[in-house]
Amino acid sequence: MSPEIAQNDILYHVSLNARPTESIRQYNVALTICGNHAIKVFMTTAPTAAPRISIKDVALTRGARPVLRGLSLAVHAGEVYALLGGNGAGKSTTVAALLGFLKPDAGQILVADIDPVENAERARREIAYLPENVALYDQLSAYENISYFMALSGKEPSRDAMDAALDDAGLQPEARALRIGGFSKGMRQKVAIAMAVLRDVPVLLLDEPTSGLDPRATADFNALVTRLKARGTAILMVTHDLLGAADCADRIGFLAAGQIVEEVVPSKGMDVLALHHRYGEVAAA
Amino acid sequence: MTTVRLVADNEWRLMRRSRVAQLALLILIALSVIATLTSIAHRDANDDLRARFQAQADQEFDGQPARHPHRMVHYGHFVFRPLPALAAFDPGVDAFTGSTIFLEGHRQNSANFGDVRQSSLLARFGQLTPAFVLQVLAPLVLVFIGFGVVAREREAGTIRLLSAHGVTAQSLIFGKALALGRVAGLMLAPAVAALLWLTFLEGAPIVAALGLGLFYAVYLAAWVLIIVIASSLARQARTALMVLLGLWATTVILIPRVAPDVALAFAPVPTRLETDIAIQRDLRRIGDSHNPDDPHFAAFKARVLKQYGVDRVEDLPVNYRGLLALEGEKLTSRLFDDYAERQFAAERKQGAIVAAFGLVSPAIALRNFSMALSGSDLDGHRRFLKQAEAYRFDIVQRLNRLQAEAVTFGDDSNRNKDPDAGRRVRIDPKHWHDVPDFAYRGATISEKLESALTGAALLLVWLVMAGFGVRIAIRRLEAAL
Amino acid sequence: MTGLLGHELRLLLRQRIAVPTLVLVLFLSAAAVWAGMAEVARQHDIIARIKPQQVEDVNAVRSWASKDGDAGNAAYYTFHATWDAPSPLAFAALGQRDVAPFVLRVRALALESQINEGENYNAEMALPGRFDWAFVLTYLAPLFLIVLLHDLKSGEREAGRLDFLRVSAINERGLWARRIGLRVGLIAGGLILPLIVGGVLSGAAAADLLLLSAMVLLYLLFWTGLCLLLSRRGMGSVANAASLAGSWLTLTLILPALALLAVNGAFPVRQGVELTLAQREAVHSGWDKPKAQTMEAFFRHHPEWRGTKPVEGGFHWKWYFAFQHLGDLSVADQVRAYRHGLEARDLWTERLAFVLPAIGTQYLAHRIARTDLTAQLAYQDRIRAFHKRLRSFYYPYIFNDVPFGEDDFGRAPLWLEDAEGR
Repeated sequence: MSPEIAQNDILYHVSLNARPTESIRQYNVALTICGNHAIKVFMTTAPTAAPRISIKDVALTRGARPVLRGLSLAVHAGEVYALLGGNGAGKSTTVAALLGFLKPDAGQILVADIDPVENAERARREIAYLPENVALYDQLSAYENISYFMALSGKEPSRDAMDAALDDAGLQPEARALRIGGFSKGMRQKVAIAMAVLRDVPVLLLDEPTSGLDPRATADFNALVTRLKARGTAILMVTHDLLGAADCADRIGFLAAGQIVEEVVPSKGMDVLALHHRYGEVAAA
Repeated sequence: MTTVRLVADNEWRLMRRSRVAQLALLILIALSVIATLTSIAHRDANDDLRARFQAQADQEFDGQPARHPHRMVHYGHFVFRPLPALAAFDPGVDAFTGSTIFLEGHRQNSANFGDVRQSSLLARFGQLTPAFVLQVLAPLVLVFIGFGVVAREREAGTIRLLSAHGVTAQSLIFGKALALGRVAGLMLAPAVAALLWLTFLEGAPIVAALGLGLFYAVYLAAWVLIIVIASSLARQARTALMVLLGLWATTVILIPRVAPDVALAFAPVPTRLETDIAIQRDLRRIGDSHNPDDPHFAAFKARVLKQYGVDRVEDLPVNYRGLLALEGEKLTSRLFDDYAERQFAAERKQGAIVAAFGLVSPAIALRNFSMALSGSDLDGHRRFLKQAEAYRFDIVQRLNRLQAEAVTFGDDSNRNKDPDAGRRVRIDPKHWHDVPDFAYRGATISEKLESALTGAALLLVWLVMAGFGVRIAIRRLEAAL
Repeated sequence: MTGLLGHELRLLLRQRIAVPTLVLVLFLSAAAVWAGMAEVARQHDIIARIKPQQVEDVNAVRSWASKDGDAGNAAYYTFHATWDAPSPLAFAALGQRDVAPFVLRVRALALESQINEGENYNAEMALPGRFDWAFVLTYLAPLFLIVLLHDLKSGEREAGRLDFLRVSAINERGLWARRIGLRVGLIAGGLILPLIVGGVLSGAAAADLLLLSAMVLLYLLFWTGLCLLLSRRGMGSVANAASLAGSWLTLTLILPALALLAVNGAFPVRQGVELTLAQREAVHSGWDKPKAQTMEAFFRHHPEWRGTKPVEGGFHWKWYFAFQHLGDLSVADQVRAYRHGLEARDLWTERLAFVLPAIGTQYLAHRIARTDLTAQLAYQDRIRAFHKRLRSFYYPYIFNDVPFGEDDFGRAPLWLEDAEGR
């Protein structure tokens, strides 16, 4: 059910942002116009520096059901990649595979050049992970939660460092010493983001980060993602929120039936609504 | 009422689909059957053995050759405590009390050869009997099956759905209780079968069996209500499970062990050894038969001589030594009764303290009730001890009287010096036949009911308290709907 | 590392159920040790109390029996006290000391009718078993451990924290090991601490305390292993708790009860009653047998008295004590069979102790505390040895017709506090 597309309509801006942290990279961009209906954007060939997250031809079966069927994607330093997909498309499986919880049947996954299948713990040291529902210890305060989880990952941040991270995450100072049992979802997420900031690792994995957040909180979050990106973190955001993805992602990959069926580079002024319909169609396929 | 049935039927269906519930129930029923069969076999074998030993002892007593009667006083007699039929259902303290006493003159021996002293410490883990299965295991299995009956619906949110369909809190709770009650009924079934067996095949008193069936049902009903209450009040199934497990461990395992410690501290009982020494001491004070100048025995002698109108014991028409033995036995026996009564009083006080703990532990209330009606409580053992002592006194005095009347004083005094006198003091063994055999009289049904009263009352208190708890649970659940 | 443990400790102690659980463990364990020590003190008191009473009782016999100096009277009427003082660790596992006598008086007469005497105790009090430290360990400690461990992983999963937690930990095994170790350690501490305090106050051997502490750890480790094994099936906390409590029921109540049925069924010990009946027959038939025959039989066992003055007349203590002893000897086989039956029961309990951990802790604790059937039999052995000394003491007076004077009462063997008292 895609809308009619005029020949001269510019549907997608293909922008190549050179990143200051990286050496010049070459993208070969192929635009394919399929009749009157759609444009597929393929980015082929890798940049010269290795991607921070690399998934190549991964197939993964859960039980008897094949979930991932030849999934490939790469996220580079300083890049935000949004992985979009409907229910059952394989988003959470991808996350679990990246964290080393699930073992692919075929293909290769590398996180900061480490194979999480072979060495989950070492791979996890390079990943900060923000789960969909941030569940922390209700009986601990924000500070205590942070120092506990930091201690688990081998760090002992000072109170000042924690405050700086919480400032970054935007948690109001008066809440920080309170037990988080009474925190809203957004506040909990801010605590978890502060942890991600403090972890200071090259890869950030965001699982449905904006689901259940109000528009204001979503905007705050996206701003934060942009700030982290500027530090050179490679960010993979798994979401079904196209609007949010379009707002802060450098690339959007549409995941359906276990593989990327389409990858787009959003730009200002692009027709998100059209993309949304397209996304619905892809998800239905 | 129909909604109650509907809720119950639905829960019942769920339970029947739950493998865990089925398995737990199946194991319990299997254990109950095993316990019933082994317990009946064990009781029958033990009772037979005791009857055989008793017959052997009777026969041996009657078969003694011609003897001096005092030899027979020391040859003595063995008596065995028979096991009531319902001891197969609840053997109570049987394993802890000796089953046989050796009766002899001027000594009171203990009841010996209790099972527990002859067992390794395995015996202290508890015996697998129908009573144990129902008192201890059944409530826990009910907890496993029932902790979630209401809490699960609450957690899953289905409770609001039910409410939207017009199911009230009251019919929900009653329905769940009914479903769990059916499970309890299944648990009770093997025990009821055991009671029927014991009543119709082994001659157990029907009133006692009926009472047992009824109050075990009351006990399980109280547990069913407690489980449904906890399940309704808890916001999560896990909380309900934890609370119920804690309640079970406290009331069934912990308190029954702590209560005796408290009771023993409040009413200590002296050891046998001390009692022995104390009796000897009292005996010397009353009258020392070894002391030729003892005032009591001097007065006794004077009284006897005066009664027969003679001056010397040699001139008495009866054997003075026999009279002395009669008098001595009377003194010791009085002391034995005295000390036994003191000990029984202390034991009763201990028992009363433990029984009071029935207010915080229905398991204690049921245990006391069950032992009392089965005739396997301490009262039963005390009855045996008393009857054995009475029997001891009776046969010893019969033999002493024989010594006084069938043996002459002259022969008795010269029996060791003069071989002829020694022969003459050995009286005809037909006298041994004349001594009656021991016939134990068990508690009558009214005596059993009387000692079971406290336990029964406490169980009813528990049921009523659980009833109040249900009302509170209904009100709370109404507020939550 | 202490930092991490500190974090875990704070986390644990802030859980709603943890503090009450741990306090309860400590309280119950301390209460059990206290109750056990009170009971042991009571037993010591009784032993101390009977000594002067015993002296008074012997003096009463002496006052009349020394007048004619007949050793037979002295041997017949004098009771000799024996006792089995509780071991320093008896407070931890009171065992069978409540149902078997730990003080017993014997005479130089036939022993078999004396040695199986029972104690005055309230059977209804003994029925549920004693509340002692071994009980808290065997029955209650696993329950507390289950409370703290059943939701170790499933609780995190249900709270939605599991993945986040695993990803955050640079050492995931270490994380679980710390959590398990902390919980097991705290419960073990709650169990061991009161034991050590009680043990030190009672003067128990350090090695024994160490052994018991090791047993605590081993037992808790078993239950920990079971908790982990069952929770590996990935069920929810509720299912874990229910299946663990079911395992507890099976392992601590049902299987030992079945084991008791099996062991007692396999080794019946009716010889106890049989030998008592037989021994009475043997002793009393002595009155009716020709004295020479009785004495001859006795001399075969005690040739040292063969040359003494022959028995004449209707009665002599020599003859009386001879057939008393022959009565004992006549049932020696049955005594041995009875003893073997009891030992077989104990042996099979020991074997089961290797298979069923609940039996294992009970068995080991009672063995170390010397309150089990073995200890009871050992006390009987010491009584037998003492009885032999008694006979050896009285025989020279009786067989050599030596008058038994007032002073001789004081020469009678005394139960030796150190060698026999424990």
